[in-house]
Amino acid sequence: MRLAYLWDSTKCIACMACVVSCAGSNYSEIMRFEEPNPMMKWLGGNIRVVIREVGRPELRLVSCFHCDKPPCVLVCPTRASHIDRDTGLVLLDETKCIGCKACIVACPYGARWLHPTTLLPEKCPGPVCIDIIRGGRKPICVSVCPANARDFGDIDDPNSSISIKISKSKSERPLELLGTEPKYFIVKG
Amino acid sequence: MKLKRRDFIKAAGLTALTISLPASKVIVDSIRREEAKGASLAPEVRWVKTYCGMCGALCGIEVLVNYGRPAGVRPILGHPQPGLCGRSSSLKWLWDSPLRLKKPMKRVGERGEARFVEVDWDTALNEIASKLRSIVEKYGYKAIAITHHDVWSYYMPLFSYLLGTPNVISHVSMCHANGTVARGHVLGAGGPPTIDPDYENASYLLLIGRTLSTASMGVVNRATSNEKLRIVVVDPRMPEVGFGNVEWVPIIPGTDAAFVLSLIHVIIEEGLYDAEFLKRYTNAPFLIKPDESPLTEADIIEGGDTRKYLVWDLKVNGLVDHKAAADPDLLYTGKVKLKDDREIDVKTAFILLKERASKYKPEEAEKITGVDARTIRRIAREFALYRGVADDTWYTAKNGNDYDNVRAILILNTLIGNIDKPGGLCYAESARFPSIITVRTIEGKRYAETVYDARMPEELFGDVGAPRVDRVKYRLTPSTFDAILDAIIKEDPYPIKALFVIGTSPIMRDMNTSKVIEAYKKLDLLVIINILPQEDVDYADYVLPDTIFLERDEIRSTKWTLHASVQVENRVIIPPEGYDVRDALWVMFEIVRRAFPERAVALGWSSEYANYKKYEEEFLHKLNEGIISKLVATWKLDKEAFTRELNEKGYYILKRKEYYVRPYKTALGTPSGKIEIYSLTALANKLDPLPDYSPPPAYTLPKAPNEFYLVNGKGPLTSVHASLMEPMKYVGDRSIWMNPRDAERLGIRDGDLIELEGIDTRAKAVARVKVTNRVREGVLFVYSQMWGRRSKLLPQNHFAREGINPHWFSKDYVVPIVGGGASNSSVRVRKL
Repeated sequence: MRLAYLWDSTKCIACMACVVSCAGSNYSEIMRFEEPNPMMKWLGGNIRVVIREVGRPELRLVSCFHCDKPPCVLVCPTRASHIDRDTGLVLLDETKCIGCKACIVACPYGARWLHPTTLLPEKCPGPVCIDIIRGGRKPICVSVCPANARDFGDIDDPNSSISIKISKSKSERPLELLGTEPKYFIVKG
Repeated sequence: MKLKRRDFIKAAGLTALTISLPASKVIVDSIRREEAKGASLAPEVRWVKTYCGMCGALCGIEVLVNYGRPAGVRPILGHPQPGLCGRSSSLKWLWDSPLRLKKPMKRVGERGEARFVEVDWDTALNEIASKLRSIVEKYGYKAIAITHHDVWSYYMPLFSYLLGTPNVISHVSMCHANGTVARGHVLGAGGPPTIDPDYENASYLLLIGRTLSTASMGVVNRATSNEKLRIVVVDPRMPEVGFGNVEWVPIIPGTDAAFVLSLIHVIIEEGLYDAEFLKRYTNAPFLIKPDESPLTEADIIEGGDTRKYLVWDLKVNGLVDHKAAADPDLLYTGKVKLKDDREIDVKTAFILLKERASKYKPEEAEKITGVDARTIRRIAREFALYRGVADDTWYTAKNGNDYDNVRAILILNTLIGNIDKPGGLCYAESARFPSIITVRTIEGKRYAETVYDARMPEELFGDVGAPRVDRVKYRLTPSTFDAILDAIIKEDPYPIKALFVIGTSPIMRDMNTSKVIEAYKKLDLLVIINILPQEDVDYADYVLPDTIFLERDEIRSTKWTLHASVQVENRVIIPPEGYDVRDALWVMFEIVRRAFPERAVALGWSSEYANYKKYEEEFLHKLNEGIISKLVATWKLDKEAFTRELNEKGYYILKRKEYYVRPYKTALGTPSGKIEIYSLTALANKLDPLPDYSPPPAYTLPKAPNEFYLVNGKGPLTSVHASLMEPMKYVGDRSIWMNPRDAERLGIRDGDLIELEGIDTRAKAVARVKVTNRVREGVLFVYSQMWGRRSKLLPQNHFAREGINPHWFSKDYVVPIVGGGASNSSVRVRKL
């Protein structure tokens, strides 16, 4: 099984339901901090909003892209960052993390951020979403999307909804040239 | 359960945090995760179906309640209008927000100083009641006014009878009034949800000055589930939906009518219209006399019927009542002999429309709109060939010429006959939801009867029958709050001395902020019922803390769906400890019980309900039972099955959308019963019966190189209360948008501060610029009803103080007769 995320950029209306729900469900305890995510000057959540202002502005939602060849895993000295055998997701074993921040630096997407109190290098999926996924359900960002713009599932299963969507649409993966093999598909048309 | 470092650090560090969390928080989180894994929920952890009140759309959501706290939210799948957006995702921070108004307060300083003392409910209600009595003694009941938004709107007619005043005047002039009047005139419809595109079946959706993501996420859900749908957005700024696979046509502000009339011109010139539809279901073939009125049977026959509109029937080559005509001629022009033997020239309404639209050939429209002629032609052809639908709009308080924009849009839909068909502009099925109060005549005597069967006799109506101040000035208006301001400031047409502001913020909502403040200062009594410190609170005599939607039980009709549906708002949670808040419904009854006890009693209130628990248990039960029993009777439902399904699913669909009804089988609410491309109501009210373009009358047009249109709009985060919640600090855009070419010309870079000066109002403010191609050259854009907060009760460093409120710069322009406002303006820019 290789679980992956899909974001349909043709449908997203930038309503922020996924961004805010991720923070509210996974990290609500820090949202009233003066700076819940000082490293990124962003809310305490795993999805960042980037608007590319070249020509007609484009929206990008940046989070962990669950690379099959993840730089964060390669640089981790304690194997705290790892690819989960059951799901194929990139996860963090927090009992092994020594807080060296190498993974934060190594990620070419800037997907990791430093939790202000645990000092863990946070990333998608957040703690609540990990358990939701282990329960066999789709993570919060997918279940809250009003625009049918998100999906999640097993790309090794040709009958999964995500596999069907990938096969029926034109999609790309973030910065494919880097060779990180992200398991995150951006539908473009 | 393995205690992880995350939990350990959380537990150890909690007491040092700037916020206080219940001691059980760590355990609660763990329980929630057990639930997430699929384990069954502990009784203290449950999902509750309700609807979201973070904006007025009321989308269906489920809230996860975790030991009495809101912990998560998700859409109700299958709901005709399922949630969710950034606003509803923020509701958990609203419930125990440190900003929430927690106790009744009484002003001790000057108005605007925001100096208050906390008082108990009895003191506040008694003092308000006493002041109301003095005002009524001197000026009558009609000197009391209420303004509101969507919250508690169902109960407003009840409040009108409670207080004996006609002056219950909502936000509508600053929202959809211009569009609503236009919908009535052309299609015989009402407010925005009464007609809507059939988003899930449409093939081509034209959004002119409208964006899908403003509120109802059900609309978004339906449009995005439609894989074949092409969307074209016409707007000076690129709304959020433009990030997707959408064509964005940047248009000069206030020129939509010229654009749409140009589309109409192309469709008529190229014969792309649905002639059969126009002949049969619209007044396009009606013959119009030189005095602009329609030719009727009464014109040619002594004693003829003025409601028999004559057309030229090609089958008999003669004048025939439209209803009886076999083949009405759309293009007839000729002479007609009247009953007094005079001969006059007549031509069809369709020809008049054609002549009007011909003023806006694409090359001419390009000069006005800034949209090139080829694009106009292409969109017109695509619209007709794809059997498109143009959204009937929502927020139309922009430039002062919006009434004509919307009429033109509705006529555009009519031209291709795509009305009440799958994928077309459709009439929503009505839930026939019972009114809270209706006037009935029993044995010759009039009574106001509530949905829970209380009856107030006519002698207690007070001034309810007096003319409403806004309708004195703008006779077609659904609601114009600006008229209340005039009644306060100039006592025109009569004085208003007391104002209740319930669940809304005129300072954020209404144009010309300084006029709102001037009026506030002149009132004898200003009572604010709200949940958060909106700036209006600073001027109040009494501030009464309201409950939030999660703390209430209500039944409402579902808004943004073509189906007839009702939904429940379940009391998800109780207010946090120390938040002494009360329903506005209870508050209004308790004020009136003290001020005018006979009115409260007549409307079913008992002094026992002063006990809030009794009110919740008995009065609300009686009210909701009344609504349910009337719905059950209207729709002939099994009560038990209805309430069970309503509670289990959170909604109940009373009737699914039936297409091809209006205008095909049922006459419309227009004078002719047809779609009126030539509006007889407009004509009767001395308005142009056809839409036309006129430059925006609401503000001075920008001319100099440093002058700009300042346009405002809404987005998926727009909400005066959601915008104060913590996540909005990060996801809310408080900048003012400027096109890169303008920025380069003025030497302004992204992130620079500029000073804005209203060309008309001279108001000044400082804002941070975002240089972006999301806005057209010559135009600045800012989100409305979000930023530029100035309440002294907000922390000094609160992020919502940043940015601007566009209404600082807008005048108080109201569209004559129609009554809609205009919130756009023009400004001069100076780099700081």
